[in-house]
Amino acid sequence: MKNTGKIYTVTEINTLIKAVLDANLPGRVTVTGQITDWKLHHSGHCYFALKDENSKLPAVMWKSRYNSLKFLPENGLAVIATGCIEVYVPNGKYQLIADKLQPAGKGALQLAFEQMYEKLRAEGLFNDEYKKPLPPYPQRIGILTSESGAAVQDITNSIHSRWPAVKLLLYPVAVQGEGAAEQIAAALDDVNRRNRQLCLDILIVGRGGGALEDLWAFNEEVLARAIFRSKIPVVSAVGHEIDTTIADLVADVRASTPTKAGVVTVPDMYEVLDRLAVMQRRLAGWAKTALRLAKQHLETVLASEVFRKPFSLVTTRQQLLDETEMRVSNTIRYQLAELGQKVHLLAEQVRRIEPHRLLRECLVTVYNLQNRARMAAQQVIGGCRVTVSTAAGRLAALNPKSVLQRGYSITTNAATGRIVRLLEDAAVADTIITELADENLIESKVTKKQNKAKRS
Amino acid sequence: MAGKNEKTDTGKMTFEQTITELTAIVDKIEQGRIPLQDSLQQYERAMALIKHCRTILQQAEKRIEKISEPEDRKQAGQDKE
Repeated sequence: MKNTGKIYTVTEINTLIKAVLDANLPGRVTVTGQITDWKLHHSGHCYFALKDENSKLPAVMWKSRYNSLKFLPENGLAVIATGCIEVYVPNGKYQLIADKLQPAGKGALQLAFEQMYEKLRAEGLFNDEYKKPLPPYPQRIGILTSESGAAVQDITNSIHSRWPAVKLLLYPVAVQGEGAAEQIAAALDDVNRRNRQLCLDILIVGRGGGALEDLWAFNEEVLARAIFRSKIPVVSAVGHEIDTTIADLVADVRASTPTKAGVVTVPDMYEVLDRLAVMQRRLAGWAKTALRLAKQHLETVLASEVFRKPFSLVTTRQQLLDETEMRVSNTIRYQLAELGQKVHLLAEQVRRIEPHRLLRECLVTVYNLQNRARMAAQQVIGGCRVTVSTAAGRLAALNPKSVLQRGYSITTNAATGRIVRLLEDAAVADTIITELADENLIESKVTKKQNKAKRS
Repeated sequence: MAGKNEKTDTGKMTFEQTITELTAIVDKIEQGRIPLQDSLQQYERAMALIKHCRTILQQAEKRIEKISEPEDRKQAGQDKE
């Protein structure tokens, strides 16, 4: 095409370019490259570019497409993008409008799984410390699965064939397709909330095998978190043996397939019955032995002397008592006699001791001295007595009453008690008492008084 | 405990309770730590527990119930419709 000299406006030329591109490019293209300049706009649309060693292609992914992605695109990630090339006329810029994005090399789901695994592992959701133990003999088990799938039959058969004594309760949920994960998560929360009435010991979440897409609900975060939250222990039973889902990793116990649910949740009835039979035999054996031993013991006891000669026990002891008593009294008697002998000997010894005799001699001396002292005292006293009686004789001569011996007498006025010496010492009619030598008294009354002096 | 009480007791016991008690009795008897009289009672009790375990397993009915929605919520839903 030769230059026609036509002058285009910007809009015209951009529009022309768009028309040329639209006409010549295939409607959809698939481009491989590395993500770069990744930007998730708050509007929800994503702006980024794909690049290789030499070139860069701007790209957009609209919100609705982005939300259906299972994995998280990031810078550096090798991807295969599918969409159409579009010219953005206002900017004169062409870009890839990607409606599909998938990791190059591995599947998008695989990548999504790895990303979810890494995220939840970092949070510790798979840690052993959160694993709840299952009760050894569950009574009620809740099963969260599709009512129409094969899994429900597989699970119930695997449980009931091992252990019929458990009540199974089915909570029908969708296990694949849009909203399945949310539905199972809601069912888990619902059952936990109602468990006061439901009294479930274990919950089983599962489904049969299928393509990775079919199992996808069991890799979703919402379900993983609901399993982690559950107060009731959760057993996962998803897909085939080789499929490991996020749910398997978060669950307290994993059953590799629905048909293995019974093995991990309930004991084997026949093993338990065997154990019961063993216990019964052991108990019966024990009881038999215990009774036989008790019987033997009884026989031994009955055969003992006590039962053969019941009184020998008493008589032997009586004899022993008598002997002891005799021995005791003999001993005491002997000891008393011995002590008496000892006392006697000691007394003899004491008697024979010299100081004892000396003491007696001293006593004799003391006695003699005492006698002499007494006699000397008596002599002195005797001398004194003579002196005293001589003095008394001389003293008696001086006694006024001694004149009475010579015929004198003493007259006393009875009224005054005074000796009558002068005329005035007695009045007429006074009683006067005359004392004689023999100490007798004469009482007389004064009849007349004669004053000789007056007369002369 | 009297025999009658024990019998009514086992009827209400779960399998786990039953087998726990049973194991305890067997251990105790085999260690010979209980007098003969007691252990004979325990023996009888153990036999009753074994019987109860078997009954639980035999009487089980292999049924499955649906628990998707509580009765009251279902009713409420129907009322709305």
